[in-house]
Amino acid sequence: MTARILLVEDSALISGALRVLLEASGYDVTVAATASEAIAWPDGSPPDVMLLDLTLPDGDGLTVIGGLAARGLRPRATLAMTGHGDTATRERCASAGCDAVLVKPVPVKELLQIVSDRVV
Amino acid sequence: MSSAEAARPVVADRIERLEAEVLDAQRIIGELRDRDTLKTQFLSNISHDLRTPLTAIITHAEILRDGILGDVTARQMESISVIITGGRQLLDMITEILMHARDSSEPLTLVESEFSLLDVVEQVTALNESLAARKGLGLERRVSTDLPPMRGDRDKIIHVLTNLLGNAVEFTPAGGRVWVHACHGPEPSDELVLIEVGDTGRGIAEDHHELIFREFAQVDASASRVHHGIGLGLTIARRFVELHGGRIWVESQLGRGSRFFFTLPVRHRA
Repeated sequence: MTARILLVEDSALISGALRVLLEASGYDVTVAATASEAIAWPDGSPPDVMLLDLTLPDGDGLTVIGGLAARGLRPRATLAMTGHGDTATRERCASAGCDAVLVKPVPVKELLQIVSDRVV
Repeated sequence: MSSAEAARPVVADRIERLEAEVLDAQRIIGELRDRDTLKTQFLSNISHDLRTPLTAIITHAEILRDGILGDVTARQMESISVIITGGRQLLDMITEILMHARDSSEPLTLVESEFSLLDVVEQVTALNESLAARKGLGLERRVSTDLPPMRGDRDKIIHVLTNLLGNAVEFTPAGGRVWVHACHGPEPSDELVLIEVGDTGRGIAEDHHELIFREFAQVDASASRVHHGIGLGLTIARRFVELHGGRIWVESQLGRGSRFFFTLPVRHRA
């Protein structure tokens, strides 16, 4: 079965680039541009991997984790994406249940490796 | 009427005027603080807005370079590599500008924690390994095994080390060497750690040793200069080191490589 990725990112430029990358690598990609769109994940089974931008137009990206969990749809792995990899941000992400924190722009090879590690 | 009684209205008047001036000054301080907050907010937004398209550029370029959308010729790959290098240089400059603007308007604070200097050195050298390898540079690290856990602002120390090592790698021609050493010092009895980032690169003339730490200073300010940058890296590095109570300095001669040193107090919990 094709692994499904929920890409939560408000910049169309960035989500476009990541979609090209992930679909070319064989993943099924759904893009959500806001936290509420992400929480409204339409399927009955959760995404395999969620790539989560922390700054979204309707609030803190980390709220998506709780929002999906409340619907019983918490992704199997959540990878936070942020412009700053500082310690405070990493700690916040870890407490919210992220499996990793990636600093944008994530080198393409590294991103593919981390996603494939998490999908297994 | 006594002279004291006669003086009362004058004094009262003075006091009233002073009170009005204090209120005025307080109002102006409030306005300046608001403007400062707005400025920092503006710079933070700008930084985010600038980084977004840059992220997309770099990501797409890497997708092309790595052959994800089909094979690329060697010459195409070279061209794409320039896009990526340029993009990353822009990113570094944006980060520096934002950090400088933020730090010069707010009082700098240390976010203290205990951390391992060995881990920090490892993290920073790992980031530079592939670039050093591509330039054919030897990259060596040596950290004394008896260093206690450090107490300080880990992110700021990482920033200092990243800047120094990045400079060393950039300013050393192919076939040279770059190194990071950390030990107790400079005197064994000091409650200090001494960190050195050295290289066998072009070196820095003695009369530039102080200049390079100044804001926006460029050793070669001509338009055709080979090495670009904002000129804030060492300024920020010095600010961060001195915030910890340490010192930063350089030993170097033109054509004879460079050795940058900085000290950090070891703050034991005991």
